[in-house]
Amino acid sequence: MELAHDTVIQVAGLHKKFCRHLRRSMFYGTLDVTRDMLGWRYATGVLRPREFWALEDVSFELKRGEALGIIGPNGSGKTTLLRILNGIFPPDRGWAAVRGRIGALIAVGAGFHPNMTGRENIRLNGTILGLTRREIEERFEAIVEFADIGEFLDAPVATYSSGMTVRLGFAIAVHATPEILLADEVLAVGDLRFALKCYRKIAEYRRNGGALLLVSHSMQLVRNVCHRTLWLEHGRVRQLGETQAVCDAYERDVLQRSATATSREDIVRINHDPLVQIERVEFLDEQGRACAAFPVGARFRARIHYHCRRQVTAPIFTLALTTVENITAVANYSNLDAPHLLATAAGRGWVDFEIAQLALKPGNYDCTVNLEEQALDNVLDWHERAYRFAVISAESPLMHGLFQPSVRWEAGRP
Amino acid sequence: MKTAASAVVLYTADSRRRTGFWRSLAGMAGNICRARELIRQLFIRDYLAVHKKSFLGLAWIVLAPVVATLSWLFMNAAGVLQPGTTGVPYPVYVLLGTTLWGLFTGFYQSATQTLTAAQSYILQVRYPHEVLLVKQALEQTVNFAAALAVNLLAFLWFGVRPSWLLLLLPLTTLPLFFLGAGLGLIMAVLGVVAAEFKRLCEVALGLMLFITPVLYNPAALGPRFQEVLRWNPLTHLLDTARSTMLAGTVPDPLAFACSSLFALAVFLLAWRLFYVSEHRVIEKLF
Repeated sequence: MELAHDTVIQVAGLHKKFCRHLRRSMFYGTLDVTRDMLGWRYATGVLRPREFWALEDVSFELKRGEALGIIGPNGSGKTTLLRILNGIFPPDRGWAAVRGRIGALIAVGAGFHPNMTGRENIRLNGTILGLTRREIEERFEAIVEFADIGEFLDAPVATYSSGMTVRLGFAIAVHATPEILLADEVLAVGDLRFALKCYRKIAEYRRNGGALLLVSHSMQLVRNVCHRTLWLEHGRVRQLGETQAVCDAYERDVLQRSATATSREDIVRINHDPLVQIERVEFLDEQGRACAAFPVGARFRARIHYHCRRQVTAPIFTLALTTVENITAVANYSNLDAPHLLATAAGRGWVDFEIAQLALKPGNYDCTVNLEEQALDNVLDWHERAYRFAVISAESPLMHGLFQPSVRWEAGRP
Repeated sequence: MKTAASAVVLYTADSRRRTGFWRSLAGMAGNICRARELIRQLFIRDYLAVHKKSFLGLAWIVLAPVVATLSWLFMNAAGVLQPGTTGVPYPVYVLLGTTLWGLFTGFYQSATQTLTAAQSYILQVRYPHEVLLVKQALEQTVNFAAALAVNLLAFLWFGVRPSWLLLLLPLTTLPLFFLGAGLGLIMAVLGVVAAEFKRLCEVALGLMLFITPVLYNPAALGPRFQEVLRWNPLTHLLDTARSTMLAGTVPDPLAFACSSLFALAVFLLAWRLFYVSEHRVIEKLF
């Protein structure tokens, strides 16, 4: 098998199947093992009843010094792909060619023995990762320093905090200097100081020609680290290309999908006066059309439709926008913002709430609306997080903060 | 980075099945040679670390055969067990027999765990799994050596002088390893996809203890039972190992040779089975 001189991983038409039914899966396993043993040829690349493709026709290439992000919803085949590349699962059709030592940052610290000390576990884990005794001794100090476990080095790993275990596992894995690093969500753990250390180490590793395959749910991380990104969905390649474009498309897809999802369990509607109801909330774009997604910085309007079968005196509308993590981004009260909005409310009508520039970071937001009479504690109808919309990314590539105002930077000298 | 110099590993659906029989065996043997350090480390981890937490520590190793012997002695004294003439005091005979039987079942048991003993990282880290077989067998060998020391003490106590052929023990017990580890490897693979096989095998082994002359002299049986024993390869493997130690003789050299060849054949087939199917089986582990 020949690969282009700077290619470290090539995958072509890769298929992997699994079986949903446990007993049948075991039956197929027995069948396959028997055939393997007898040397019978059989077609592995076709589906039998109850089998499905965990990976279907996946092809890509990774070169030295490159970083490829792998994104996709849970169950899209990301981890299976890493396991095939790591030689743990065999493919069922197609092939994967790998050149060079692979280091897997999948569940770091797997293989640690709780009764053994950190020192003993470094030796053991290093050996499992393919280091010779001399290589381990040479790197021992660097590993200990990187893991920063101090006097715990000679204590059993069972006494470590989970953070320390991860640090030690990661330290050993990165010091095994693989040519290809497979990382599955590992950077999401540990404290900030250690995470930064890991980023620096990975950057250094890449400068030295190391290739990285990063599986992550954090678009931020993928955008920061990877050149190209592979988006997997139901085991198939949905998109492969420049990270920015793929991540944007993926985020838009996720947001739109969840914004239109109707069955949600955290919606609470409490009505204290059956004669007074908030009927629904509509989100409107700049042209006044109903929509579910707003670009960052766009004009946002929420229209609250009410129906009062009796006259409500001095109605108060309140509206809050929260992130899906339930952080309140916006909370406004009509009695404070617009004291003369309505003196009374009767029959059907609507109230518009507008934000000139919706400067929120991309993501899903839930809208809570209440209707009170005369005072805030006199709630008539309450719709808790009942309406969802999405804020989607405009152009700017790096966005950390919840608030995304339009900003200006200026340089000066004293 | 030595990327340009590294060899390309190709993963396809049937790359293992296509590898020839002898080549696959040689490949696995090569892996074991290269992974000596890993075997050493895993041995230290599993053998010493496990005993760190226990008060009796390594004493557990000799306790098992002694307790087993005591129970057989009790049954013998109660008149339930009629072992026939054994040539040496019965306690020595039965202790040695159970020690050898323990070695065989130890090889079997430990080989069945070749894939499952390291379940926590078998799905995470790639390493040649055959090293686990060797590590497990090493543990059994060390246990056996400790139990053997207890045997020698018993020899002294009862005034039995072992033959100098005792030195051939590594050779005479090798077929026990082949048969035990071979059966165990087959069950390591089949046990994952079809647990029934493993259970059946365990039931059969329990039965085998009684149709193998572990606790009694085969001469004490009737001719029909002797015929059954004659077709049991374990009879010859175990009896030869024991006779060389106690009397310095090989009771039936031809039968021993045939049984040893049978054991070797089982082992080679099992090794091949393990090679072609371990990955397919690992998929089913989680």
